[in-house]
Amino acid sequence: MTAALLDIRDVHIGIIRRHGSDEIVRGVSISVAPGEKLGIVGESGSGKTLTMLSVLRLLASPPLGVVKGEILLDGEDLARVDAKRLRAVRGGEIAMVYQDPMSSLNPLMHVGKQIEETLKAHGSSPLVASDRTREVLGQVGLADPERVRTSFPHQLSGGMIQRVMIAMALATSPRVLIADEPTTALDVTIQRQILELVTSLQAETGMAVLWVTHDLGVVASLVDNVVVMYAGRVVEKATTTQLFARPTHPYTKALLQSLPGTGSSHRSALHQIGGTPPDPTRLGPGCPFRVRCPYAEEKCAQAEPELIDRGEGSFAACWKDPSQW
Amino acid sequence: MVDLVLRAANLTKVYRGRRGHAPVDALSDVSLDLERGTTFGIVGESGCGKSTLARLLVGLEAPTSGTIRIDDQPVVISERSASRELARKIQLVFQDPFSSLDPRMTVGKALKEVLTVHSLHTDMTSLRASELLSMVGLTRRFAERYPHELSGGQAQRVAIARALAVEPEILVLDEPTSALDVSVRAEIINLLVRIQDELKLSYLFISHDLSMVRHISDDIAVMYLGRVVEMGRYDQVFVTPLHPYTSALEDAIPVPNPEHERSRQAAGAVAVHVQVDKVTRGCPYAPRCALVEPRCRDTAPTLTEKANGHMVSCLVALDDAQ
Ligand SMILES: Nc1ncnc2c1ncn2[C@@H]1O[C@H](COP(=O)(O)OP(=O)(O)OP(=O)(O)O)[C@@H](O)[C@H]1O
Ligand code: SF4
Ligand SMILES: [Mg+2]
Repeated sequence: MTAALLDIRDVHIGIIRRHGSDEIVRGVSISVAPGEKLGIVGESGSGKTLTMLSVLRLLASPPLGVVKGEILLDGEDLARVDAKRLRAVRGGEIAMVYQDPMSSLNPLMHVGKQIEETLKAHGSSPLVASDRTREVLGQVGLADPERVRTSFPHQLSGGMIQRVMIAMALATSPRVLIADEPTTALDVTIQRQILELVTSLQAETGMAVLWVTHDLGVVASLVDNVVVMYAGRVVEKATTTQLFARPTHPYTKALLQSLPGTGSSHRSALHQIGGTPPDPTRLGPGCPFRVRCPYAEEKCAQAEPELIDRGEGSFAACWKDPSQW
Repeated sequence: MVDLVLRAANLTKVYRGRRGHAPVDALSDVSLDLERGTTFGIVGESGCGKSTLARLLVGLEAPTSGTIRIDDQPVVISERSASRELARKIQLVFQDPFSSLDPRMTVGKALKEVLTVHSLHTDMTSLRASELLSMVGLTRRFAERYPHELSGGQAQRVAIARALAVEPEILVLDEPTSALDVSVRAEIINLLVRIQDELKLSYLFISHDLSMVRHISDDIAVMYLGRVVEMGRYDQVFVTPLHPYTSALEDAIPVPNPEHERSRQAAGAVAVHVQVDKVTRGCPYAPRCALVEPRCRDTAPTLTEKANGHMVSCLVALDDAQ
């Protein structure tokens, strides 16, 4: 195991109230090594975005805040660094592509200029910044980088904006790239191109990648390891191969089964998980998946399982050994 | 005899260009026949005209030319009153269920309102409302809920119930599962298949998720830059694709299977995407095409039957193994 480059340790995020707080993210630990590509999947509302935002101290606070935990970049606790250092890390060592790209661009500035400004803020000369901007806009598959460079955000389509955001993130050659659903709005051929670009850049520069996605196909094609989140917690950690071959948490198994695949025949009923995910602030004792879980037993209602080693690099927060399913 | 519920013939839509820009051909000469009780899947990349086609079919916009017939009656968009009855027969379900629900209106009220919109003078009795809700798998208690009290999957169920309220024959489903969680998609797809069988509905299913389209559709059209480039039964299009664009699309889709993805990478497959604004001569796909020949740049192919109703618009594919 290589030492972690980014180490998110037991992070709790809550809605801070006058008396105490309601926890939404309940103790998440995720770490990536240099050169590792890690996928983060999970139910909508499970806390993926909040966890990623907390890394760069970008949570909407108030009301949100990190209640507990550490975020270490090469051993340096980002929760404690001063504003100047934080600015250097943001968009420099750690770049982020947000789920909602429009909100992170300035509507009144040409997009090329915005990339140049980011580069200059991180120490590039104007000349280098402008060359690099052209280069990255070309790399993300924009046909006419020159036109895009001198466009305002509203003059570009959603797919183009998304690629501009990816170009901006890659421009500074970050050590860590955090991407939150970066290709959801893109066409499959462009998505494929982005996945290939990230893979090749990553091989070249040794950048670590955290890729949040709902698309299990993207997981299979891009990442080495996967973290599955449910109700504000990590419920499974595994290598990509193991996750697909031998899921060790019932939620992961149900997710994989719900996909229409080569196995399911035309128009036959797809596997449904049923039920709805719980509100993470109103959890009782026990496993948060138990009401939807086909394997739930008495113990599951009493105590919430921690991650248990299930072998072959898989860990699952489930009382039941997968061999007993 | 095939019973066609919808016939769209030679639909074309040209949008006037923005100041100083050329007009945009959003849809060029698209024809399709929807058989009653079946599902027609439409796939293609964003901007290929899928949603324009949906808007024309449900009468939200008038085509520049071409005709639409429902139950063998021409749909006249300009004379709204004359086509009201037809408009009722075809309903649209959107990608984002919340966008079609008024946040200040309870589910029960939303179901009532749709009848008023279509000036149907029948009453939305609470019995009918709970019948509609149960059809989409919700209890009648949901009638009192507001949209913000619904999950994404529940909201999409309500949107479907609302479309069903006017007893349509056709649902146009524009990316009905794309905005939903993976774990909820299967539920909605199962629901759609079930009510289709129960109510003998016909669907136009638009999606960029090829695995879902393949799962649910009987017939499929693949669109590229406003045109249909391939059309046929689902197994024809997916098992034996003829158009190089269909193959490129299938190849680009990430498959949830790491083995498959590894062998794909080993084979060095690359999906080339070149943004093409407008091709004035020859085949519109030529600039991206892996099979391109010199003649493709001169002669534009037309959609032609290759075998057993399997249509393709590609000079090379039409020649091959003939
Ligand atoms: N500003 C906020 N105030 C209060 N609650 C919030 C706020 N932002 C997010 N939440 C809640 O926190 C929970 C986790 O949200 P988060 O955005 O991290 O989910 P996610 O896993 O990224 O979901 P998705 O897959 O839909 O993007 C959700 O229940 C959400 O409603
Ligand atoms: S702990 Fe129990 S309820 Fe939770 S996932 Fe495992 S078997 Fe299911
Ligand atoms: Mg999110």
